[in-house]
Amino acid sequence: MRKQLFTIAIIILMVAIAVQVNSCKKNDSAPGTSALTFKVPVNFPTPSFDFKGNPITTQGFELGRKLFYDGLLSKDGNFPCSSCHQQFAAFITYDHDFSHGFNNQFTTRNAPGLFNLAWQKEFQWDGGINHLELQPLAPITAPNEMAEDINHVIAKLSADANYKSMFRAAFGTEEINSQRMLKALAQFMVMLVSANSKYDKIQRGEASFTSIEQSGYTTFQAKCSTCHKEPLFTDLSYRNNGLTLHPQLKDYGRMRITHNSADSIKFKVPSLRNIMITFPYMHDARFYTLDQVFNHYAGGVVQSSTLDPLLKNGIPLSPTERFNLKAFFRTLTDSTFIKDGRFSQPQ
Amino acid sequence: MIPSNNVRKSGMSIENIITLPTMKKPHLLFTSLFISLIAIVSSCSKEYSANGGYKPPADSFNLSINFTPVVDTIKLSFDSSYTNFWKEPFNVTYFKFYVSNFDLINTDSNRIYHVNPDKYFLVDAADSTSWSVKLAAVPFRYNRISFLIGVDSIKNVSGAQTGALDPAKGMFWTWNSGYIMAKLEGNSPVSSLTNGKFEYHIGGFSGPDNALRKPTLLFPYGQFSEILVGSKSTININANVQAWFYNPHDLKIKETPSCTTPGPLAKDISENYSKMFTVTAITN
Repeated sequence: MRKQLFTIAIIILMVAIAVQVNSCKKNDSAPGTSALTFKVPVNFPTPSFDFKGNPITTQGFELGRKLFYDGLLSKDGNFPCSSCHQQFAAFITYDHDFSHGFNNQFTTRNAPGLFNLAWQKEFQWDGGINHLELQPLAPITAPNEMAEDINHVIAKLSADANYKSMFRAAFGTEEINSQRMLKALAQFMVMLVSANSKYDKIQRGEASFTSIEQSGYTTFQAKCSTCHKEPLFTDLSYRNNGLTLHPQLKDYGRMRITHNSADSIKFKVPSLRNIMITFPYMHDARFYTLDQVFNHYAGGVVQSSTLDPLLKNGIPLSPTERFNLKAFFRTLTDSTFIKDGRFSQPQ
Repeated sequence: MIPSNNVRKSGMSIENIITLPTMKKPHLLFTSLFISLIAIVSSCSKEYSANGGYKPPADSFNLSINFTPVVDTIKLSFDSSYTNFWKEPFNVTYFKFYVSNFDLINTDSNRIYHVNPDKYFLVDAADSTSWSVKLAAVPFRYNRISFLIGVDSIKNVSGAQTGALDPAKGMFWTWNSGYIMAKLEGNSPVSSLTNGKFEYHIGGFSGPDNALRKPTLLFPYGQFSEILVGSKSTININANVQAWFYNPHDLKIKETPSCTTPGPLAKDISENYSKMFTVTAITN
């Protein structure tokens, strides 16, 4: 009798929990939208992006894609996000140290590539931005980049019938506000996954390294992989890699955000994915070639109190090792990603 | 009008169930099941859960908190010139602050009610329609009010927001994510900046630079704010610009005409302005 009662009680409780869990589910996607699946590559860790807070839909993604390529987001119409983030170069500014902005101005840091953002919790070289949805606010409002005012952007979008219908399709009503715009842009950006390079195919057992590439990979694992951690090829930490302080820019990196002198001249470790097409290198793009980068690590590291302990003695690299490393780096170019039609300028 | 006694009684019902004396075993099983069910069912009503189960109709309110921007005790005018504690002349061009996370307190019964914890308000001296904050409070007698000056850390790290928290309101740092909790700008002949400008944008939501302040305000002596369902109560609060310049930290426009990043200075200024509020009147 007691056992039966207990079983009944448990069943009632479980049903109640199930009903409750269902009714508690906050579904923010608008009716009529179609969910877009974010596929986590098999060799990748769990993403940190909050997909519950911003569920990806086809309509939201397409709206974000249109916004990303639209000069309307900039003051004079000439600077869409895509002007500095070019798909064929893994969304950096190809062959540029600094990018061009409003009124013939330049940025003060090298544009980072936009890929695998779902695994990042902080953005910018100094990590000052704490959410992907907030990231576009910085370039849109920076006077030397898109130079716009958020209220103006919203007013321009609201005057456009096409946008009205796209916002309705993505969010249920025609209302256009900064939150919806930023959520749509985040949906586009978070889908930019680069995980189909030769390296990835090898990880999945679909291809194999040549012997030179394999030697390069061995050198990479021995000398580079602590900071440029697989499979993202960055551990997302901030480090001082022994560069001198730029005499004009005087960019102290992470210290600007934390006000902590221990963070002086520390910058986020960049991913080595797509490295062959994302030159020049470093936060201030001071190196145009990989040879310059190798020379820096082998003999150019400047000692300072915040220098990363791993670089105290530099990283010696023989000519053979350099040659092999380059061969390995070529396997990190994701030619599927840079040609993926889903991410190109909408017609 | 519903008598407030009835409302209070029904508000206690859950407590009564919990303090039921222990019964015979099968009953105990069902009692515990019943309590679990209540706990589960009530777990979803996040909006007013902290209000002791009281649920006013959506968007209704029974408590208005009216902020008045003042200099000393006179209503702030953007056209007037003032003199601060350090005898520095100044005028004001911007004066804005966020308020959120309101608590109503009765110190006699040690009750604290969190009121509308999901609502955020931007009080802007230039827009008198923003001065009145409407809340839905549990009917009770209160003798203290407390609120956060600013936007809590959760909302600072949760991505794009809207309404009062829309970054288009100009109270958000784009390059170092975070809300500006309070802003005071103006001009003074003693300032070394261009056009004698002074500019205090105060923010920072974590670690040693946390500029979030939550003052508790006393009501005028002997007055309670008694809030009854169906009636409207009002708490009038002055927000005094002068408080920014002194106590506990000296802020002289001549020495420090600007503060626009989180850090020790912003934290100091937040400690000064946490004392800017005074409850001037309560009406029921």
